[in-house]
Amino acid sequence: MSRDQFLPQIPYGTKDFLPRDARRKRAAENALAGLFARWGYDEVVTPTFEYLETLTVGVSGDLVQSLFKFFDKNNAILALRPDMTTPIARVAATRFRESVPPLRLFYLTNVFRQEQAQAGRQCEFYQAGVELLGAGGPAADAEVVALAVAALLEAGLTNFQVGIGQVEFINGVMAESGLTVGEQQRVKQCMVSRDLVGLGEILAGSSLSAAAQRLIREIPLLHGDDKVVSEAYRLVGNDISRAALDNLTDIRRLLAGYGVERYVTFDLGLIRDFDYYTGMVFEGYTPGLGFPLCGGGRYDNMVAAFGVDCPATGFAMGIERILLALERQGIAPPAAVRDAYVAWGDGGLAQAIAEADRLRRAGRTVEMALEACSRTEAEAARAAKGYAGLVYFDGNVAPG
Amino acid sequence: MTSSDMNYLTIALPKGKLFAPAARLLSAAGYTADGLSEDSRRLVIANEAHKIRFIITKTADLPTYVEYGAADVGIIGKDVLAEESKNVYELLDLKFGLCRMVVAVPEALRQEKLTDYAHMRVATKYPNTAERFFRDAGIQMEIIKLGGSIELAPIVGLAEMIVDLVETGRTLKENKLVEVAQINQATARFIANRVSFKMKFERINRLTEDLRILAESEKK
Repeated sequence: MSRDQFLPQIPYGTKDFLPRDARRKRAAENALAGLFARWGYDEVVTPTFEYLETLTVGVSGDLVQSLFKFFDKNNAILALRPDMTTPIARVAATRFRESVPPLRLFYLTNVFRQEQAQAGRQCEFYQAGVELLGAGGPAADAEVVALAVAALLEAGLTNFQVGIGQVEFINGVMAESGLTVGEQQRVKQCMVSRDLVGLGEILAGSSLSAAAQRLIREIPLLHGDDKVVSEAYRLVGNDISRAALDNLTDIRRLLAGYGVERYVTFDLGLIRDFDYYTGMVFEGYTPGLGFPLCGGGRYDNMVAAFGVDCPATGFAMGIERILLALERQGIAPPAAVRDAYVAWGDGGLAQAIAEADRLRRAGRTVEMALEACSRTEAEAARAAKGYAGLVYFDGNVAPG
Repeated sequence: MTSSDMNYLTIALPKGKLFAPAARLLSAAGYTADGLSEDSRRLVIANEAHKIRFIITKTADLPTYVEYGAADVGIIGKDVLAEESKNVYELLDLKFGLCRMVVAVPEALRQEKLTDYAHMRVATKYPNTAERFFRDAGIQMEIIKLGGSIELAPIVGLAEMIVDLVETGRTLKENKLVEVAQINQATARFIANRVSFKMKFERINRLTEDLRILAESEKK
């Protein structure tokens, strides 16, 4: 182990999960995989890299910018997947044509984005998520939100909040407003970049009435319980926005049935990619982590881009962000199970192997010494490795 | 320590010229703490009674503290926000600390139009802002990032031009530099972490409204 000074580097945005972290990650992933399966979702695994043109179907410009790209031997451009929604939409559109809708799929995998690393998100990071394809109503959206709440609970978090919004609410306000297409673009751009000062400046420079300006300025502040929806209903007169509010009310009622409504807040200013989402959108937050834990929503046009009309809704959560939140909130990670250290003196190896085998079959975690040692040395090794018990074979008599 | 305690609001304030007016404005809104001063040796200044914590950061670092949620909210110049382009809520223009980001050259190098300056070297503390400005104008420049004393660069031949923040223009004049273009105007902004803004919505929104009223009345 003493090859002095030889410290190979790993690329920017990558990390090693050493045993402690890998164990925490595995525990979280196993818990989530079990949960998704209990909700009737089937796991899919898709290629790590695909053709660039496939991965960029229906995806926003920002994400395309952040792709890791390379060439295959015919010089076709390949890219590492930046998320799992597009690959799953491809699979759904091409491989499940005959299946009975709706399709419930989940994944647990690494994705890749070439961007500034954030808290709990390197350039390679892990996501767990579900996609519910072929169902358009509020029941599907409510199921996905309820499952996201269940997933955060299953991962061990207790203190979190899920905000739900509806992109059609904002789209309706925009359409009704009388803003030019260019102004609408700039307003949405300000909302996406969370620049409320810039938003106010654009509105002040537009031809809108003071009341219409105030309505748009207030969208990011429409946040809270059911009262927010009735307030918003009073503020808007257009059918698109009102239908969006009705949709949220329906979803909220169903969430009460799931018993998760206390985690859910209405947030009509919730901004996710406008070009991608088509209905309900949501994000999960926890104190002490400045970034969302999970996010998702309805994206009815994405699968259609692969040639099959198919409404869809789903979410993705960041595994590392969940682990970071658990750690910051002092929620204990699962301890490594170390039951027995099996060691042996000269002539005791065969007995030791047999005993280790017996214990392992009985479900114990067992590590075995690979060289003969004295009982004292064996005891020291057991203590250093943190095993609960020592089983020692001195090669002459049965273990004591 | 992070902003994980839901009962506390952590406010980041920048060292430098915005500190005093920012602290004064917050104090008028009822947000202050004993010993809150720029030269405080304490890194975190708390007001336990009102559940407020202040942290004082280097100017350019402030958006990072807020982006990561180490501070829930902060006050910072638009110049720094535009340069750092962090993912934070920009909630309010506080209207103080007005200054302008300008392009300046030594009198002797003055050209007729902006494109005549193409391919010159530009010294600045704000490389992203400068880069964006010249790119949008269709001009390629050689940007040299410096940490301060930008006016020195043209004097000693490190660069032909500078992009810098000016308040009165006196420093430019003293160094025989003339302004050839204004990139933007900057005032102090009230910003919030994207998660804090959702999880501590009531408190942050109320503070924003109080600050809005104070900022507007102060302006009058």
